[in-house]
Amino acid sequence: MQTPDDEQFEAYLKRFHPIAPEPVPTLSVSHSSRRSLPFGTWLAAVAAILVIGAVILHILSNRVVVSNRAGDAAITERHAPSEPLTMRSANAWLATAPSFKAAVDDLAFRSQTNPLPQGKQSAVAVLSKEKIRL
Amino acid sequence: MGRTERNTAEIEALYRQHGPALLLFASAISGDRGRAQDAVHQVFLKAIENGSVSQAKNKKAYLFACVRNAVLNDAKVQDRNMPLDVDSVWFSPPDRDYAGEQNLRRGLGELPDDQREVIVLHVWGELTFSEIGDLLGVSSNTAASRYRYALAKLRGSMLAKENSCADSR
Repeated sequence: MQTPDDEQFEAYLKRFHPIAPEPVPTLSVSHSSRRSLPFGTWLAAVAAILVIGAVILHILSNRVVVSNRAGDAAITERHAPSEPLTMRSANAWLATAPSFKAAVDDLAFRSQTNPLPQGKQSAVAVLSKEKIRL
Repeated sequence: MGRTERNTAEIEALYRQHGPALLLFASAISGDRGRAQDAVHQVFLKAIENGSVSQAKNKKAYLFACVRNAVLNDAKVQDRNMPLDVDSVWFSPPDRDYAGEQNLRRGLGELPDDQREVIVLHVWGELTFSEIGDLLGVSSNTAASRYRYALAKLRGSMLAKENSCADSR
């Protein structure tokens, strides 16, 4: 039989609340996975849209590049310099070229488009004929 | 909602509701807060795996029994009797009564193991003497009797401590 004193003391003890334990790892993981499931789906959808967009852009830009290259070739052929390459002509070449890449490409293949005058040889051709003893 | 999700949700609710008292009970038996925490986690992880809690008639009493078994099994494996760790905080005190909290912990620590178990199960676990008797394998009368002794002893030691503190001031 409990006395009123016991009940009072019991009530006093109950005012002290035991501290909660740390969360169970699995419970918190399952909680977050349930929450992140729609987020994951959403993320996958966004990623898919981005990939599709990137592919479409890539295809479109390739088409533009192809058509640009055709145009560039026409333009560069038109403006191809026949005189030897100097700083001045290179600057003029870069200024008139539709793009830097096109200009560099044309300058690189310039030797093929402009053959050397009759009776002259390029340095590379001369060196290739030299017999070098190693 | 699937069966597993329903089971997990139920276990989450049980953990929120009874977790603090279960941890206190495990601490009161094992004497070590870390081991107590491990035992409580172990019980709930097993409950998630096998869904045993949902089959239990009295879920709260079942959880206390599981925690007790987990602590005692662990103690068997460890093969050592650890003294009660009274330095770690067990309660959030009312009105920032930290001295009271420390006094209560010391008082609980001074109780014999069987009396400490009963007082924790009845006051903070809110189990009846019949449920406590089933859990500990004793009659409900024995459980009630242990409780009365424990309550008197705890009150005495807490009052003595309070008085000694008052005298020292």
